[in-house]
Amino acid sequence: MTMNDPLDELLDARLRDETAYIDDDGFTARVMRELPVRPRSFQLQRAIIILAAAIVSVVVAYFASGEATFVREGFMRLSALPAVEMLALVFIYGLTTMVGGAWAALARTRDPLG
Amino acid sequence: MELSDADLLARVLVDGDQHAFGELVRRHQSPVRGLLRQLTRTDVELADDLAQETFIRAYKNIASFRGEAKFSTWLYRIAYNCFREHARKRTELVGIDEEQWESQPDPSTADPALRQDLMSALAQLPLHERTAVVLCCQNGLSHDEAARVLDIPLGTVKTNVLRGREKLKKMLAAWTK
Repeated sequence: MTMNDPLDELLDARLRDETAYIDDDGFTARVMRELPVRPRSFQLQRAIIILAAAIVSVVVAYFASGEATFVREGFMRLSALPAVEMLALVFIYGLTTMVGGAWAALARTRDPLG
Repeated sequence: MELSDADLLARVLVDGDQHAFGELVRRHQSPVRGLLRQLTRTDVELADDLAQETFIRAYKNIASFRGEAKFSTWLYRIAYNCFREHARKRTELVGIDEEQWESQPDPSTADPALRQDLMSALAQLPLHERTAVVLCCQNGLSHDEAARVLDIPLGTVKTNVLRGREKLKKMLAAWTK
C-alpha cells in the first residue's frame, strides 16, 4: 500500500468521515429494560454465609477440643517465655501482619478485571 | 472526573451496578451499532436489534471479560458473533447461504449515481473484506485487534484489508478525476 497515493489518502479520509456518531435516541434505555435482573445483595449473602460458617466452626472446634484447654495451656506457656523470646515473637507477628496488609492493599489497586 | 471503562466494569462485576453498565452502553453504542449497520448493509432496524443482543450478552457474560483486550474489542467480537449467528439462522430459515446473501445486490447501489458513495461501495465488498476494512480503517482497530474480534489469523486480516481497500479504490477511482 503506497501511503502517498492520493486515492489512498482520500479513501482514509472518507472512511474516517463515515464514522459518524450515532445518536443514542433511546437505545441505551431499551437495552437497560431488557437486562436480566441480578440478585442485588449477593455480596451481603456471601458475607453472611462466610460469617455463619466461621461461627459454627469455632463453636464445633471449642467443644470438640475439650473446651479449648490447649488454648489456655498455650497462653500459659507464652506468658512463661523469656522477655527476649517474647520480643522476637511479637516482632515476627507484627512483621507478618504488616506484609500481609501491604499485599492486600496492593492487590486491591490492581486491575480488578486482569 | 469521568470513570474509566475498567472502573465501570469493576462496579458492574463487584456491585452488580446496572447504572455503570448503562454508562458503558452509552459510551460504546455508537461504534457497535455502526459496525453492525455496515455488516447488515445499512439495515438499521436489524443492526439495532443485533446491537441490543450484543449488549445483553455482554452483561450476562461480563465475568468472563479478563481485561486482556480493550472492552470495545470484546464488544466488537460479541457483535460479530451475533451477526454471524443471525446470518446462519437466516440461511437455515430461508435456504440461502451466506455467500449468496453477501452477493445479493444492495438496493441502494442500483442507482449508478450512488456507486461513487463509499457506503455503497463498502456494501459491495464480500463480508470478510467489508468487516476487516470497517474494523481497521473505519473503527481504528489494529490488525491484531481485528484478528481477535474475527477469530482469524493476523495474516488473513491483513490480506482482507488490503484486498478490500484495493477493490474500494477501483470502485471509487472516479473520485480523483
